[in-house]
Amino acid sequence: MATDEDRDSLAAEYVLGTLDLETRADVEAQIATDPDLAQRVHRWERQLGELNGLVAPIEPPAATWDAIQARLAAGEASSEPRSGRSPTDRGAGIVDLTRQLNRWRSIARWGGALAAALIALAAARELRPDLLPQPLRPRTVIQVVEKPVEVPTPRPAEFVAVLQQAAASPGFLLTFDFDQRALIIRRLGAEPQTGKSYELWLVSDRLGAPRSLGVVGSDEFTIARPLQALEPAIINAATYAVSLEPSGGSPTGGPTGPILYSGRLVQATPGQGGRNP
Amino acid sequence: MLTPQELLWLLAAVARGDQVAFARLYTATRAKLYGVVLRILRRTDLADEVMQDTYLRIWRSAATFDPRVATPITWMVAIARNRALDLVRKKSESSTDDNPDALEVPAEQPDPLARRQMTEELKRLLACLSDLEEDRRRMVLLAYYNGWSRDQLAAKFDRPVNTIKTWLRRSLAQLRECLGDGD
Repeated sequence: MATDEDRDSLAAEYVLGTLDLETRADVEAQIATDPDLAQRVHRWERQLGELNGLVAPIEPPAATWDAIQARLAAGEASSEPRSGRSPTDRGAGIVDLTRQLNRWRSIARWGGALAAALIALAAARELRPDLLPQPLRPRTVIQVVEKPVEVPTPRPAEFVAVLQQAAASPGFLLTFDFDQRALIIRRLGAEPQTGKSYELWLVSDRLGAPRSLGVVGSDEFTIARPLQALEPAIINAATYAVSLEPSGGSPTGGPTGPILYSGRLVQATPGQGGRNP
Repeated sequence: MLTPQELLWLLAAVARGDQVAFARLYTATRAKLYGVVLRILRRTDLADEVMQDTYLRIWRSAATFDPRVATPITWMVAIARNRALDLVRKKSESSTDDNPDALEVPAEQPDPLARRQMTEELKRLLACLSDLEEDRRRMVLLAYYNGWSRDQLAAKFDRPVNTIKTWLRRSLAQLRECLGDGD
């Protein structure tokens, strides 16, 4: 029977790193079933881990992040859109989220209920670096094509958001196809209203005012291609809303009617429990 | 480097599958983790491999992170170090041309300039380390920073492996005594 000192010594040497491969594997197996040993390992990790404070940071090559993204996209854990931009650029969206929500709340004041609930599928393995976002331009040309289409078959490179008033009444389903840089809007519960048009907006703090993504057609499906000029970080983090506007769309360029539906794009939880072979 | 609170927040977001948060977490921590694993592996190709494995693991396991057990950076570095140590052991056990002397690095304390940023816990650890005999302190630091095995330490200090084992055991017990249960 190992003494406490033996066990602590083993935990310490495991953390210190002096054990051979076989013993390391033994310790790892024990940690999983032995809370006392796990607790000792964690304590040593905390205490010796202070030494990392003295390690000089070294920038890894940019290719490392690309490789991580590629492996995620290849399904090793979950999927990740290839934006090709540096993590710094993409990461900036996180902070913006809070500000963006505040802005969103203020926008919502003139509008109807804000109920954001969303589902998202993320499977972006087809995303390619050659589909890089163009630099954000001051004005975006929005091209809206209204035409009925076949029910799209599920594609890997899609993000989905449900725009709804309440959990039980989804109004629109947005499908983002980053591969095609397209946005497919499917009308669900939202009934066409005579003399009025539904207009889709992208709300992002990084853009300032809500950006019109076009009038939603009266058909079940509308395809819009407004995404070329927008960074994926903005698209991913934005709030999407549908307002009721005069026929043909807002006369002012900004939303004038009540926001009826809204939602945000979030990624599905990654495959928890998936492990490396 | 972000504050521990910011890293906690990011990890929580990563646990929910937030890819933007993951990118930000990577940006905030990559240089520290790379610095740690490169010292152990001393080869950029291997360090790159370990970085990839580490961040994939972080992405998958963020939900299992327990803030009562570790800070985010401690947890992440532990993942990275363990990967690096496994790899460096695998390499050294499969190759015969392993020469510990070739792995010698000039300083055991990699970045003395960071001293003013030291946490209280680090100062305490360094004080405890300074109580060790010099050889034993060097041995602990070479093991932690550079990932040296008992065998490599035995070659370096020209002592039998069993002696190294005893030294390590006593040194770590002394550290434990000095540090207390901590936290």
